Amino acid sequence: MATRSEIPGARFVDPAVLARIGNLDLVAKSVVDGLINGTHRSPFFGASVDFAEHRGYVAGDDIRRVDWRVYARTDKYYIKEFEADSNANFSVLLDISKSMAFGAKISKLDYGKTLAACLSYLANNQRDRVGLVTFDEDIVNHIPPSAKHLDVVLHTLDKVQAVRPGRLGPPLRKLAEFFGRRGILVVISDFYEEPDEIFDAVGPIRHRGNDVVLFHVLDPAEIDFSFVEPSSFEDLETGDQIPIVPDALAKQYQALIGAHIETLAQRASQQNVDYMLLNTGMPLDYALFRFLSMRERLASRR
Amino acid sequence: MSFLAPLFFLGLAALAVPVLIHLTQRERKTVVEFPSLMFLRKIPYESVQRRRIRDWLLLALRLAALAMIVAAFARPFLRGSQLAAAPGGARDIVVLLDRSYSMGFGDMWTRAQRAAAQAIGDTTPADRISVVLFADGAEVALRSTPDRSRAVAEINAAAPGPGATKYGPAIKLAGSMLSESLLPKREVILVSDFQRGGWQPDDTLRLPGGTLLTPVAVAPGDGVNLALAPVTLHRQSAQGQERVGVTAGVLNRSATAVNDVGLQLEIEGRVLQTLKVSLAPNASASVAFTPVAVAAVNTHAAIRISDEPKGSSPRTVGGQLTGGGEPSGSPKADALPRDNVFYFVLSPSAPVPVMVVGQSGRSDASLYLARALDIGDAPRFESSSQAADALGAEVLAKSRLLILNDVSVPEPLAQRLTAFVEGGGGLLLAAGPRATWPGSRTAWLPASLENTIDRTRGAPAKLSAIDYGHVVFEPFRAPRSGDFAAARFYSYRGLKAAKDATVLARFDTGEPALVERTPGRGHAIVFASTLDLSWNDLPLKPVFLPFIHQLGRRLSGYKEQPAWLTVGQVLDVGAAEAAAGATLGASSGPASRTVLAPSGQRRDLAPAVAAPGAPPSATSAALELVEQGFYEVRGSGRDAGPVIVAAANVSLAESNLDRMDPKELVAAVSGSGNAGSIGGQDVLPDEAQELAQTYWWYLLFAGILLLIAETVLAQRYSRAAS
Repeated sequence: MATRSEIPGARFVDPAVLARIGNLDLVAKSVVDGLINGTHRSPFFGASVDFAEHRGYVAGDDIRRVDWRVYARTDKYYIKEFEADSNANFSVLLDISKSMAFGAKISKLDYGKTLAACLSYLANNQRDRVGLVTFDEDIVNHIPPSAKHLDVVLHTLDKVQAVRPGRLGPPLRKLAEFFGRRGILVVISDFYEEPDEIFDAVGPIRHRGNDVVLFHVLDPAEIDFSFVEPSSFEDLETGDQIPIVPDALAKQYQALIGAHIETLAQRASQQNVDYMLLNTGMPLDYALFRFLSMRERLASRR
Repeated sequence: MSFLAPLFFLGLAALAVPVLIHLTQRERKTVVEFPSLMFLRKIPYESVQRRRIRDWLLLALRLAALAMIVAAFARPFLRGSQLAAAPGGARDIVVLLDRSYSMGFGDMWTRAQRAAAQAIGDTTPADRISVVLFADGAEVALRSTPDRSRAVAEINAAAPGPGATKYGPAIKLAGSMLSESLLPKREVILVSDFQRGGWQPDDTLRLPGGTLLTPVAVAPGDGVNLALAPVTLHRQSAQGQERVGVTAGVLNRSATAVNDVGLQLEIEGRVLQTLKVSLAPNASASVAFTPVAVAAVNTHAAIRISDEPKGSSPRTVGGQLTGGGEPSGSPKADALPRDNVFYFVLSPSAPVPVMVVGQSGRSDASLYLARALDIGDAPRFESSSQAADALGAEVLAKSRLLILNDVSVPEPLAQRLTAFVEGGGGLLLAAGPRATWPGSRTAWLPASLENTIDRTRGAPAKLSAIDYGHVVFEPFRAPRSGDFAAARFYSYRGLKAAKDATVLARFDTGEPALVERTPGRGHAIVFASTLDLSWNDLPLKPVFLPFIHQLGRRLSGYKEQPAWLTVGQVLDVGAAEAAAGATLGASSGPASRTVLAPSGQRRDLAPAVAAPGAPPSATSAALELVEQGFYEVRGSGRDAGPVIVAAANVSLAESNLDRMDPKELVAAVSGSGNAGSIGGQDVLPDEAQELAQTYWWYLLFAGILLLIAETVLAQRYSRAAS
């Protein structure tokens, strides 16, 4: 059940084993608790009580935020500002298009559901409001962020299925209207779209001040293209078939998917969007660990 | 190398099939679901479609197999090979060899074989030879082969049979064989003694145009030829014992007078009497043997020409010597022995037992009937009378025909009568004023008995609308062969014919007068009036006696069996069994029969398939007589039935060696057209060359072998891959 990793002291759980547990609440708890205990600190959203700076009082400021100690010393009103809000809106945007149903040991959708559950559980532990949006070519489920919605989110995650083809643009553009308040949006998808379309869709959300994180979930077979027998390949979403001799075009495919990933990473960096490629063959907590480490590193730079 | 059907090479396009299978079908046999073909579509098309052929050996095998099969269908041949071209072109030759028994005259058969072998020896390697042996029928012994030694072997293996010569079937068969020939010349070589009796001019008998008919006449040579004519049998009864007198006829077919020819009468292989006769050239004589008593049925009898007199005191019957010269021949020198014996079967005549059932105390009612039955000997009816109430099962078992002469039939008797008829017996019901039949069994009777119709006032009724096609009335069919209309009927019973019954005669009013039904294996007939003078005057008319006899023959199932048959005729075994009494006592015919041929060969005789709707008695078997001598047919099983013995003799006409001019036959059957080569070709046509070489067969065989090898190899590869 547990696999040794390259990270010293860490024991990660095989995603296929997690998928068999079925109870997302339990999965999220076991993954996240194990992870936090291992790292002792959650660097994800910062501490809401962390002091940032003092600024002068201006009319309209809440007098409850006046630092009375400074006033006692300086006889001037200063407002005490903190690093971040303690209760952020945290929403997971999960792609449930049919292509997400692909996967040999564990489907990308199951992997994404587990990831979403873990992140929601983690956020809820930090007293953030958690919400969920599932979409394919349109919005399927929309649970607004709330401190009491974790159970609803987990239940909804448990029920969703990949049945329809998907598009990133229309649902995300529609969602931009809902995420006016700054929050953290995690998009979990296989991103089978052109990079321009992906970032055109993500842009409006990002520009409203939301912190956007893209999790690019792919099956190992989609990356390695490790097929052997010449076969007809059928598009899961459109049903189109083309005859393929894998030996002949594996390298070309690998080059194309590699370029796609590279482009996404570059564009995400340019637009201050966090991007992370998740291989479903990779243990989920290992992926989380890597991601949180990256967040911590980036947060310290910002 | 040339090809007879080069268009078949279009089939080489099929060579693309294995390639396409390699390139497309293998890849398409499995479908892999993939999230998106977004990147795969970006790869240039050629790199998707170009596939690697891995199993070159398999592909090569498939291509080679297909190519060979296509080449086989194109019919390759080597044009102008040395097989072609005898001067004038290759011939398709049919050798017709007469094997009738007349060919056994002296050494004629040996000479005929030699002549046929010589004709075959004169052929070229390009010629194709067929051998047909014929007598009264024709049989292909060897069909169209260039192998001359086989043809000669077939001829040497043949022997003359007991059949008579008939040229028609042989020429017709040769014509049909040659009409399919592809060779430029067609020829029929007819080796025969050219008996005139074997040829009957027939305008429809023509060989295909251009066919050359070459007669090879084999002369009979010198020798005496005596032949026995069919015997005449005379039956006479004296002191309650039946004796049969045999009169035999003998013919001298040669131009030499013969003297003191011994004629033996053999009974069961024992010579009983020997008579001597002298014959002038081309004369005939008959001898009458002393009548012999015949105790057992199916007694084997024969008349044989013998030069060694046997018996106690041979008598000499003088033949008429008309030639004037000294008799120089001797039966020892008879060159054609097959016609020196005549087989026949002797059986004591079996009277047909008829039971006339009348009212007790009214014997005069059956007077005319009994008198009519007592006359005649073909068959002889042995009638007896019985009162209806005394009619028991044992009486029925001894009768083959039962006549109910105006009697009332109670239910138990009706039940016994029903079983009697269905078991093969015959029933004639004469319906007078006292005749009744149980109402519960009315449906079984050919016609139900209705009220009496009185025609004493006014004109009496007459018989009309008679079915002359029926066996009963068939002898009266010809004009002045009997006038039924002369009989006057003053009263008769109304009859209502059953649905499956046949009305054989009607009164002038249209009402049925004579109705027949065939329940089971027997026959039942209802006559609407009496058989005495009480209701009609039919017994006083000349047609009464033959009418009663015809009714008796029909109802008793009597069929006269000939004492002998001729080779080539067919014996109706079922009819012979019926005549021998098999219909009574046995519920059905024997399940299987075994035939013992004169040669001693034993074989099973399959029953013929009955026609749909035919009565069970119609199921019979036919036996073709192909040998000279006695055939025995025995049934097997519990109901084996009687043993049938049939004597088969050679045709007397065949012993007449009068010859015809072969040119007459050639002129009659040769088709119009040139007897030379077709189209003046000096070489074989392409079709014939191809037919002679038959390379296509080897190519097809090789193609099939390659396909088998490919299958085995593909299975091994498949196992290795899995």
